[in-house]
Amino acid sequence: MLKSAVASLIGTLVVGIGLLVWSLSVGQEPLLGLDLQGGVEVVLEPVDTPENLELATPENLEVAVEILRKRVDAIGVAEPDITTQTGAGTNFIIVQLPGIENQDDAVSLVGQTAQLQFRPVLFDLGDRDALVLVDLFNDFGPAITNGGPDLSDLLAGVVSDPRTAPADQSAIFSSLGADGSTPGAPVLVGPTQFTGSALSGAEALFRNGWEVEVTFKQGAEGLDLFNESSALCFKPDGAPPVPGSACPFGRLAFVLDGVVESAPVIRAPVFERRNVQITRPQGFSEQDAKDSALVLDFGALPLAFSDPADPEAGLVRTVSASLGRDSLDAGLLAGLVGLALVALYMIWYYRLLGLAAMLSLSLSASLLWVVVSYLSVSRGLALTLAGVVGLIVSIGVSLDSNVIFFEDLKETSRRGDSLSNAVNKAFPKAFGTVFWANLATLIGALILYLLTVGSVKGFALMLAIASVLDLIATYFFMAPFVKFLVDKFEHKPALFGIRTSKAADVTEVAS
Amino acid sequence: MSAIGRLLRNENQVYFPGLWKRALTVSAALLTVTIGALLFLGLNLGIEFEGGASWEVRSAEVDADDLRDVLEPLGLGDARVQQVANELWRVRAETESAAALEEVKIALADAAGIDQSDVTANAVGASWGSEVTAKARTALIVFFIVLFIYISLRLEWKMGVGALAAVAHDILLTVGIYALFQLEVTSATVIAFLTILGYSLYDTLVVFDKIRENERRAVGATAMTYTDITSFSLNQVLMRSVNTTITSVLPVLAVLVVGRFILGAVTLQEFAIALLVGLIVGTYSSLFVATPIVAFLKEREAANIERRIASAKSKDDGMDIGAELDQADRARRVRSTARGEGHRVTGTSARSATAGRPSVVVTKRRNTAGDAGSEKPPRDSAADRAPQGEIKPRPRKKKR
Repeated sequence: MLKSAVASLIGTLVVGIGLLVWSLSVGQEPLLGLDLQGGVEVVLEPVDTPENLELATPENLEVAVEILRKRVDAIGVAEPDITTQTGAGTNFIIVQLPGIENQDDAVSLVGQTAQLQFRPVLFDLGDRDALVLVDLFNDFGPAITNGGPDLSDLLAGVVSDPRTAPADQSAIFSSLGADGSTPGAPVLVGPTQFTGSALSGAEALFRNGWEVEVTFKQGAEGLDLFNESSALCFKPDGAPPVPGSACPFGRLAFVLDGVVESAPVIRAPVFERRNVQITRPQGFSEQDAKDSALVLDFGALPLAFSDPADPEAGLVRTVSASLGRDSLDAGLLAGLVGLALVALYMIWYYRLLGLAAMLSLSLSASLLWVVVSYLSVSRGLALTLAGVVGLIVSIGVSLDSNVIFFEDLKETSRRGDSLSNAVNKAFPKAFGTVFWANLATLIGALILYLLTVGSVKGFALMLAIASVLDLIATYFFMAPFVKFLVDKFEHKPALFGIRTSKAADVTEVAS
Repeated sequence: MSAIGRLLRNENQVYFPGLWKRALTVSAALLTVTIGALLFLGLNLGIEFEGGASWEVRSAEVDADDLRDVLEPLGLGDARVQQVANELWRVRAETESAAALEEVKIALADAAGIDQSDVTANAVGASWGSEVTAKARTALIVFFIVLFIYISLRLEWKMGVGALAAVAHDILLTVGIYALFQLEVTSATVIAFLTILGYSLYDTLVVFDKIRENERRAVGATAMTYTDITSFSLNQVLMRSVNTTITSVLPVLAVLVVGRFILGAVTLQEFAIALLVGLIVGTYSSLFVATPIVAFLKEREAANIERRIASAKSKDDGMDIGAELDQADRARRVRSTARGEGHRVTGTSARSATAGRPSVVVTKRRNTAGDAGSEKPPRDSAADRAPQGEIKPRPRKKKR
């Protein structure tokens, strides 16, 4: 019994200290938020074409803000500051990201600022020689609307400029090359059918191989638009291209910033459900599927913004902290004073047990440090002043699982059990209580995490992490440590803060 | 022995049901005030939710503290002052009117020693978008429904009602205080409200777990009502509630006190108040809102009506509830060793369930046999005393 307790104690300590040492040695540490440390800001201005400026309504800007938020803060912990600003008749968006040293990183995080367009494929020039093209052009030429590019452009490989190519005319765009970066063959695409704002999201899934699942918005804003295109494009399997059709090959291209990201064949005339699978005959590679999903998921800006990386149009700059360093010092001082008071109280009230609780607390705090540092490095988690204090407070709250156990322990021992018996009786009961209550917290956190965005999502994540760490520290460290202490000081209940009284002296006979 | 001395030795015998009525009255009064404040005053939302204004000042002559100093007298002590480029400063704050916008412009220009026209002012949209709020609202509704189901499965639906009522009580009180005193609600405050939500639920479930445990132990000990069992359970968890509140509140108090005396920690105050109120109310509501609701619902169950009748009838045998529960435990242990599970449904107990709900709700533990009312069914008196070595099945609708 004791042996396993000591083993668990040592095991937990080794794992805990090991993780902490690893985290410190690879130089991971929590990132401080914009209020404490400053960061980089990226100013996004709508592209200056009349068509695009018309789209720059407050509603569309707010949609864009939410999309940008998803891009820079998918799990809600990065605490970016994204606002729309209006001055002198122009609307623009300011994205501030905490603690980024390299401005290019900020730009790549903010990501594509172009609009995602869905356009029917009129010609795919891949693997076709000029003669075939001329034939094709003669067959399908009428589908090209007036003002669009002509055959000679196509043959010369002239690619339309995405910034000037109007959405309601056909255009030639290069497709994504095989390795994803070099431009592939040019593709002639028809007018834009609908834009990325019809999507609500996309993700890469593994079913019978990697595929991309796209989710459209409900009704007229989403699925209906897609169904119009699918009705236009759908052809029965193996049917020849339809001359004169607006979508002769049955393929719908996803165009982002003048590049055809992919151009899948439409396999049904009407889609009932909002979830649509995109597969490839030869299968997606995992990376391809994830990249495509990313483009679709995050490409849904309702209007185009100028490229912040463009030195002429873009604006990327470093910003300072909005609160002074003394605010962080005040927060930390307050937290430390609070925790010191807590430690004093716990040790005064529970004596050795209080000590066990504080050690267990140090363990879960170290683990929390490791997790927060890891998320800082991998997901851009940033601690604002409020976040720092919130963590300190959550540490105080997590002492509850210790208190429940100690109170049960005292009660059991007062009923006449020996201390070690009392530990064995009280812990399973107390842990049961703590487990089921924490499970409720976890369920609540999961719901909030899945259904919300932004800092509410981040809060849910931290709540779940804190609950799990609490359970781990209680089960694998605090309980074995108490067992160990009880074994050492079995006959000194006063060391455990158990106040003997007349009632407790009357030992009941437990049968 | 002082009350605190007894509490420290866990010999406290507070009769909670006697306090419930008063506590519920106080809660109802507070809720009326806070809901009224929410409805009529509304929340004072921060710049994250409502947007505001942003001024840009280009000057090499000033620093952030200078700018804060001129903003403070204008009531913009919590403005965000940020250096966005070498000599460019941006100030963001909420403004009430166009006049205030101008006023700030003049003040900033003065401080920076530049011309007024060189201060650019922009309107800032909400950074906490309406989508964030809308999604959070939906999530909260799902949260309540799923947790109600969880508690119903794990404990029972009556406890689900009690727990969620307590959570709603705590959130309304905390948020309502922000409305009442027009404290600014920032994004940090909202997170504090959610923290309260989690804490309140957790705390109530811990208390319910104890009640549930004692309810199981009390099978076979008839000389106590369900309310007695809850009161006994609350006494058992009282010290835990006190200690948990102390350990949770100390860091928050430290934040408030240190924040009060150290400049620039306005942000901390804004949400520490929510945490302070919420943590205290969260513990209080487990004992004085959630539990009375459960007791009220449970006392309507046939088994508990029976208990009430039996308890009223039994003479005070000088044993407290803890001792009786211990006795029931021992009796059960004897039973399970003997393996002879001789359930016996007495005819009288079936009758008593149909004898009609007693009109007098027993609110005091251990009534003497005399004042128990006239509707006690005739019973074999030996069965009424805490029976030893015998388990009386209680009719139950469902378990788990």
